[in-house]
Amino acid sequence: MTESEKKCQEELVALKKEFEEFVYIVSHDIKTPMRAISNITTWIEEDLGGNADKEVLDNFRLLKIRVERLENMMNALLELSRVSRSEMELYEVNIPKLVNDCIEMLDNKSNAEFHFTYHLKKENIVTLGKKLQKVLFSLLDNAVRFHDKEKKNVFVEVNENETDYEIKITDDGPGIPEGVKDKIFSIFYTVNSKDVVDSTGAGLAISSKIIKMVGGAFQYTPAVNSGSIFTFNWPKQ
Amino acid sequence: MTQRLVNILLVEDDEVDVMNVKRAFSKNNIKNPLYVAGNGVEALEMLDDKIIPLPKIIILDINMPKMNGIEFLKVLRENERLKNISVFVMTTSNEDSDKIKAYNLNVAGYILKPLSFEKFVVSVSTLNNFWQLCEM
Repeated sequence: MTESEKKCQEELVALKKEFEEFVYIVSHDIKTPMRAISNITTWIEEDLGGNADKEVLDNFRLLKIRVERLENMMNALLELSRVSRSEMELYEVNIPKLVNDCIEMLDNKSNAEFHFTYHLKKENIVTLGKKLQKVLFSLLDNAVRFHDKEKKNVFVEVNENETDYEIKITDDGPGIPEGVKDKIFSIFYTVNSKDVVDSTGAGLAISSKIIKMVGGAFQYTPAVNSGSIFTFNWPKQ
Repeated sequence: MTQRLVNILLVEDDEVDVMNVKRAFSKNNIKNPLYVAGNGVEALEMLDDKIIPLPKIIILDINMPKMNGIEFLKVLRENERLKNISVFVMTTSNEDSDKIKAYNLNVAGYILKPLSFEKFVVSVSTLNNFWQLCEM
């Protein structure tokens, strides 16, 4: 190793350490005052009891939602920064079962109907199971959460190729306006105001980073009659 | 028969978190005497001779000045008189490394400080069920 390579190596180690420390500070030191704001708000509200004006109570509610949002954003930043360093265990997953498990975990799925098409020679795959689950869950959650109709249809299609699986999640919701479709993979970006549909806006950014890390491709295409299609490739190895 | 309530020691440096525990105790109608130490060093001093009878339960924060929670636990477990006290770690740290360190030092529970006070009240109520067993 040359002198300059050695110096680069040392700088890299120092930078990594600095980054780790930064993440640790964000996760602990900033969360403490944030939690204090949330707690003290609850206490003031409790201490006021039934004597508070409706307006005051409304403001307390807004304040609490904002602090909660801040916490979600902080957690999302941490998750994004740790994509390639946490939950990296390889284990065997059954793809249809993994999809079903993700659907089980969804909130507000009561009016949603899921349709499945599997073209699989082998249903089981040894892979970064937690990562695949995260991506599947984010896409299914988005399909249901941002859906604007009474009855929601979500289509899950998985095709096995020689070296990868092609996974396609389609919905018949509102779709994504043409002008913003490049922004949806940015962290904290949401198509609607966060007051319309409560969302951190991190699912696609984290999913995109995961797919890039495993060497897959990820794309959005509009569905024929409104709605969205998210397709990604998940390499077998 | 009147039940004897065990002493509880809270080791926590953040004033709001101390209030949090006190409020959650009062919400759950927990009447155990609660002693508060601001860090590990102070807690060891209190355990030395200031709290009689010796607390059976310690609620412990991890990130503290002077002596942090993990360092405190190490000292506690090496001390013949103190090693059997049940310790509940209560922290914002969701780091696996912190959890493993704590469990290796034989803790009874690991509570992640939630953002909402309501959730914390529920956690404390669950703990109280366990503490009551210590009082039998």
